[in-house]
Amino acid sequence: MDIEWYIVLSALLFTVGFIGVLVRRNPVVVLLCLELMLSAGALSLLAFSRMLGNQDGQVFVLIVLVVAACEVVVGLGLVVAMYRRRLPLDVDEMKELKG
Amino acid sequence: MTATWAWLVLLFPLLGSLTIGLTFKALPDRTAGLIGVAAIVAAFVCGVLALIGLQGEPSESRHVASSLWEYANVGGLKIDLGIYVDPLSIFMVLVVTGVSSLIHIYSYSYMKSDQGYHRFFSYLNFFVFSMLVLVLAGNFVMLIVGWALVGFASYALISYWYRRNTATKAGMKAFVINVIGDIGLYIAAILIFKNLGSVDYGTVFEKAPEVFSTNQWEIVAICLCLLVGAFAKSAQMPFHTWLADAMEGPTPVSSLIHAATMVTAGVYLIARCHTLFELAPTAADVAAFVGLATLLIAGTIALAVTDLKRIIAYSTMSQIGYMFVGVGIGAYSAGMFHLMTHAFFKALLFMAAGSIISAMANMQDIDKMKGFRKAMPFTAATLIIGALALSGFPGMSGWFSKDEIIDFAHFRRGMYDWMWVGMLIGALMTAIYSFRIIFRILPGPACEEAQYLIDKGHVIHGEPKNPATNEVEDTEVGYPGEEHHIAEQAGGMKFAMAILAFLSIVAGVLQIPGVDEVVTKFLEPTFENSVFAHMHPSTGEAWLGLTEGGLISIAGIAIAWLLYIKRPDLPGKFRQRFSAIHTLCVNKWYGDELVDFLVTNPVKAVGRFCNRVFERFAIDGATAGVAGLTRSAGAAVRDIQSGMLRGYALLMLFGILAIAVYFLIRSL
Amino acid sequence: MSFDAPTMDYAGLSPIIALTTGLVVLVLAAVFDRIKRFGPALALLAYAVTAGCLIWQWDADVDLVSGALRLDGLAVVLSLLAVVSAAVAVLLAIGDPSETQAGRSDWLALLTGSLLGMVILTQATSMLTFFVGLELLSIPLYALCGTNLRRRESLESGLKYLIVGSVGSATLLYGLAMIYGASGATGFQEIADGLQAGDGMLTDSLTLVGVGMVAVGLAFKISIAPFHQWTPDVYQGAPTPVTAFMAVATKAAGFAIFIRFFLVALGPLVDQWDVMLAALAALSIVVGNVGALAQTSLKRMLGYSGVAQAGYMLAGIVTATQAGVDALVFYLAAYVAMNVAAFAVVVIRERQSGFSDDISTLRGLGREKPLLAWPLTIAMLALAGLPPTAGFIGKLYLIQALVDDDWTWLAVMIAIGTMISLGYYLRVVAALWMSPAEGDEAVPADGTPSDAAAAAAGIDTASLPPQIAGAQADPFADPQADRRWYLLAPAIIAMAAALFFGIIPQPLVDFAQHAGDALSVWIS
Repeated sequence: MDIEWYIVLSALLFTVGFIGVLVRRNPVVVLLCLELMLSAGALSLLAFSRMLGNQDGQVFVLIVLVVAACEVVVGLGLVVAMYRRRLPLDVDEMKELKG
Repeated sequence: MTATWAWLVLLFPLLGSLTIGLTFKALPDRTAGLIGVAAIVAAFVCGVLALIGLQGEPSESRHVASSLWEYANVGGLKIDLGIYVDPLSIFMVLVVTGVSSLIHIYSYSYMKSDQGYHRFFSYLNFFVFSMLVLVLAGNFVMLIVGWALVGFASYALISYWYRRNTATKAGMKAFVINVIGDIGLYIAAILIFKNLGSVDYGTVFEKAPEVFSTNQWEIVAICLCLLVGAFAKSAQMPFHTWLADAMEGPTPVSSLIHAATMVTAGVYLIARCHTLFELAPTAADVAAFVGLATLLIAGTIALAVTDLKRIIAYSTMSQIGYMFVGVGIGAYSAGMFHLMTHAFFKALLFMAAGSIISAMANMQDIDKMKGFRKAMPFTAATLIIGALALSGFPGMSGWFSKDEIIDFAHFRRGMYDWMWVGMLIGALMTAIYSFRIIFRILPGPACEEAQYLIDKGHVIHGEPKNPATNEVEDTEVGYPGEEHHIAEQAGGMKFAMAILAFLSIVAGVLQIPGVDEVVTKFLEPTFENSVFAHMHPSTGEAWLGLTEGGLISIAGIAIAWLLYIKRPDLPGKFRQRFSAIHTLCVNKWYGDELVDFLVTNPVKAVGRFCNRVFERFAIDGATAGVAGLTRSAGAAVRDIQSGMLRGYALLMLFGILAIAVYFLIRSL
Repeated sequence: MSFDAPTMDYAGLSPIIALTTGLVVLVLAAVFDRIKRFGPALALLAYAVTAGCLIWQWDADVDLVSGALRLDGLAVVLSLLAVVSAAVAVLLAIGDPSETQAGRSDWLALLTGSLLGMVILTQATSMLTFFVGLELLSIPLYALCGTNLRRRESLESGLKYLIVGSVGSATLLYGLAMIYGASGATGFQEIADGLQAGDGMLTDSLTLVGVGMVAVGLAFKISIAPFHQWTPDVYQGAPTPVTAFMAVATKAAGFAIFIRFFLVALGPLVDQWDVMLAALAALSIVVGNVGALAQTSLKRMLGYSGVAQAGYMLAGIVTATQAGVDALVFYLAAYVAMNVAAFAVVVIRERQSGFSDDISTLRGLGREKPLLAWPLTIAMLALAGLPPTAGFIGKLYLIQALVDDDWTWLAVMIAIGTMISLGYYLRVVAALWMSPAEGDEAVPADGTPSDAAAAAAGIDTASLPPQIAGAQADPFADPQADRRWYLLAPAIIAMAAALFFGIIPQPLVDFAQHAGDALSVWIS
C-alpha cells in the first residue's frame, strides 16, 4: 500500500509541533505541541509498519503512546507546581538561569 | 624473594620520608630523626637480605628483573615500573644504604638544634629513596625518573637553609646543571628506543651488540649523551661548577650527596651500560680523558683554595675523576671498589670537617684554624685516618682501590700510559692537599676557638655568619640553628665516624691482589660479558703498582710536611713566584666565569632580545589575538545562552536542519 | 494451538529484577512513615544487590527477552558506572533540602526509576527497548530536577529540561521511524542486515536523515553542541545531588546506547556518519571550553566542562574501532570519579553556607578545610588531563585511538581543548589555595547574608545572583556538613580513585576493555 501521504502528514505534524514549541508561550500548549511531535513519529511508524507488513512498528507505537502519556503527566505536574507558586505561566519568563 | 627484598629497600625510605613529611607538626623532634634513621637502616637490612638471596642463585643467572605493573603501553613503547637486581645494583644499594644509615645517625645529633629538623630528615630520606630508584631501575625510563628525582632532592637539600641567599643560588645552580645532564639522558633514551625498540635493560644490552657495529655513529652518539648526563651528575668538567657551591648545604648533606651517593651516579651509569660503551670505545675514551682532566685540574684547585669544605669538595671531584677513568678504560670492578672506599673515607672527612666547623662557630677558612689536635682529639684522629686513606697510604683502603685503577691503565699500555702518569701525578697532589689540611688545622698553638673549647669545655658561640659572604644572619627557620655540635660531645656523631674510620682502614682487605678479590668476584656476573673481563694485571705487576703508589703517597705527605710544618714560609714564596698559576687555581680555573661567558651571558642576551623584540610583537600579538578570540567566542557562547527556552529550541532546530541538509546532500 | 512459554533467563535479567524490586519497595515505603527514614539505606541496599548481580553476570553474553535486551560486557561495565553514580547521589542527598521536601522515599524512587532506565538502556538491542530505556531514564530526571521546592530555579530547570528533552526525544523517535522504514526491522542486528540487504538503502536519504535525527536525539542527551544549551542551566538550577547524578550517569548510559546503536545497527553506514559525529565532537569541544572560561558559578562551569568532555568522548566513537571504544569507556570511568569528587565538594559547600557555588567563595579553602580542597583540586586537575591523574591517561588513550585511525585533526582538537580548559580548571585550583582577601568572608555562620554585612564587605548586593540577594534564613543549612561521612566519603574515595588509576591504570584499562571486547564481533 502506498504510504507516501501518511509520511507527508507525519512530517507536517512534526513540523507543526516544532513550530508550536518555538512560537507558543504557554507551557501547557507547549506540552501539547510536544505530544503532536511524538504522535507524528508514531504515525510514521505505523505507516512503515503497514508498508513492510511487519508488526514491530505497531508494537512500538503502543509503547510510544504510553511513554508520551507519562511524559505529559510529569510535565503537567511541573506546570501545576508553577501555578501553585504564582509564577507566570509563560515560558519566556523562565530566564533566571542564563549565561 | 630477592625481588621482594629489593622492593622493600625502595619502600622504607619512601615511607620514612612521607611519614615524617606528613606528620611533621605532630611529632616531637627526636622522633622524626629516629624514623629517618630507622627507615634507612631497615633499607640496609633488606639490601643485605636481597644480597643473600641473590648470591643463592647460580652465577650465570644472578640477575632478577621484577616489575610491579605496566605503567603505559603507548605507541610501541612499553614502560614497566620495574627493577633490576644484580650484583652491581646490590653493590650500589649496600653502599648507598650503608653509608646513608651512618650519615643519618650522624645527622641525628649534628642537626639537633636546627629549626627544620623534620624537614631535613624528610628530604634526606626522599633523597635516599630517589638514589635507590636510580640504582635499582630496570629500564631507562625508571633510570631517568630516579635521576630527575635525585636532582630535585639535591636541590632541596643544598638550599636547605633557604633564607640564605648563597644557599638558594647554589641550589638552583646545581639543579640547572643537573637538568642539562638530564636532557642528555633523555636524548640517549630516545635514541636507544629508536634503534633498539625497547628501553628495558635486559633487551637493550642483549640486542645492542647485534644491532650496532663498533663505533657506529649512533651508538657513539648514545654514549656521548649518556656521558653528558653522567658528567653533570658527577661534577666532571665542564659541568663541575655546581659542586663547590653545593657546599652551602649542611655538612651531612655534603657527605651524603657529594661524597657517597649522588656524584657516584655517573660512574654507576657507565658501569651499568658497559655493553654500550664497549661498542663505542671512542665514547669510553672520552669518559676516561675527561675524568683524567678533571682529576688533575681539581687537584690543583684543591691545593690553592682555603675553604675547608671546598677543598674536600674538589678532592671529591678529583677522586670521581679516578672512577671515571676506571670505568672508562674497562676496570669496572676497580672503579666500583674505589667508589666504595671513597664513600667511606670521604664521608668520614666531611663529618670530621663538620665537627671542626662547628667548633669554629661555622667558619670554614683553614688559614684561621689551628691546634685542634689538643682540643678535639677524636675528630683529629678521624681526620687523620680519612686523609691517610684519601692519600693512598699503604695499608689503607684507598691505597688498594686507587692503585688498582692506576695499574689497569698501565696494563693497557698505549695511550693509556699517559693516563697512568697523569693519575700518579694526581695521587701526589692528593696526598699533598690532604695533608695540607691536616698540617694546617691540627698541630701548633690552638687558635682562639680551639682554646675556648679547651678552656670552657663547650663550643664557642660566635655571631651567626654566612661563611661565604660574612653577613650576619639569624638562627630561625631557614638558617642554621644556634647550637653547634661536635663529635666529642655527640654520641651519634662519634658512632658514625668511628665506624667509617674503621671501614676506611680495613676495607682494603677486600681486594688484596693475589690474596682475595672479593669485589671483582662479586661483580663478575654483571661484567662477564665485557671484553675486559679477563684482562687484569698479574699479581706481581699489581704489587709493583701498589708499591709505586705507596711511595708516591709517602712522598706527598713528606712534601706537605715540608711545606706546612718545616718551612711554612715556602708556600708564601711559591705563591709569589707562581702568582699567575696560583690565581688561576684559587679562582677555580675560572670555570664559573667561563660558563658565564660562553653560556649564561649569551643565553641572557638572547632572552633579552626575545623579550624586547620577539615577545612584544610576535607572541604578545598572537596570544592576545588568540586570547581575545577565545574570549569573544566565550562571550558568543554565553550570549546565545539567553535563558529563553524558545531560543534553545530554535538553535536545536537549526542544528537539526543543518544535519538533515548535510545528509540530504550526501545522499543525492 | 500450542503456546511455548518464553524462556526466562532469570540470571541474565537479575540486575533489572533487583532494581525493579528496589523501586517498588521504595515507592511502597512512602506510605509507611517508619520505613521512610530508612529510605537511603534501602536504596543503597537495592543498588548493592544490583551491582552484585551485574558482577555475577560479568562474563555473560546473552540475549534476553527475545533479542530486545543483551547482557554483555558493555552493558555490565556501563551499568556498574551508573549504579555507582546513583549510590553516590543517594549519599549526597541525605539531608538535602530537595530530598527532604520531596518525601524521602519518593525522591529515591524517582532516582531508582531513572537508574532502571539507564540499566535497560545499556542493554538495549532493539528500538523499543532503546526508546523505553531512554524515556525511563529521562522522565524521572525531569521531576527530580524540580524537587527543590524552595527555589524557583529548580522548577525552571525541571521544566526547561522537560521541554527541550522532549523535543530531543521526539526527534529521536522520528529518526527511529525512518530507519525502521529503511531497514524493515527494529532489532539492531536486523537493522544492520536490513540496511545492507536493501538495494541502495545504505545511501538513501530516508536512512541518512533518520540517522541524523537519531544522532540529534542522542546528542541532546549527552550534551553535545549545538544541542547543549540546556546543560548549564539545568546543572545550575537542579539540586546538586541530582546534577551529580545527571552529569555522570546519563552520559554513561547515553554513550552506551550510542556505541551500540551506531556501531552495531548503523555499522554498515560508518562512512556516512563518522564525519558528522566528528564535526559535532569538535564543535562541542570548542563550545564547551570557551563557554566555561567566563563562568563564575562552579556548577555552571562544570556543566560547560561536561559539554567539552562529552566532545572528547564522542571522538572515541568516531573511530569505530575497539581501541576507540576502550578509550571511551576508560575515560567515562575516570569521568565518573572526577565529577563525583567535584560535585561532592560543591554539595558540602552549599550545605554549609546555604547557597552560592560562586568560585570566588572558594578562596582560601585550601588552608581552612584541606579535606574539601584536595578532592576538588584533584578533580580539576584530572578533568584538565594533567598527569598523574586518570584523566591524563584517558586522554592519552583517546588521542592514541584517534591517531591510529587517521583522525589526527580530532586528536589535535582534543589537545587544543585541553589547553583552553586549563584556563578555567586552574582558576578554581588557584582560588582554592590563595589566601582569602580581606572582606571576602561575607557569609555568617547561619547562612544569612544580611544586607549590612554584605555592604560592610563591600559587595554590591544588587549584582549578586538572585539566590543570595533574596535568601531567607536557611533551615537546611548544616554548618557541620564538612564532617558528615556520607558527604565526605564520596569525595575522598573519588579523589583517591582519580589518583590511583592515574598511577596504576591497568585495572581500569582491563575494566574498559571488557566493554570493548563485547563488541568485537561487530567492530575491528
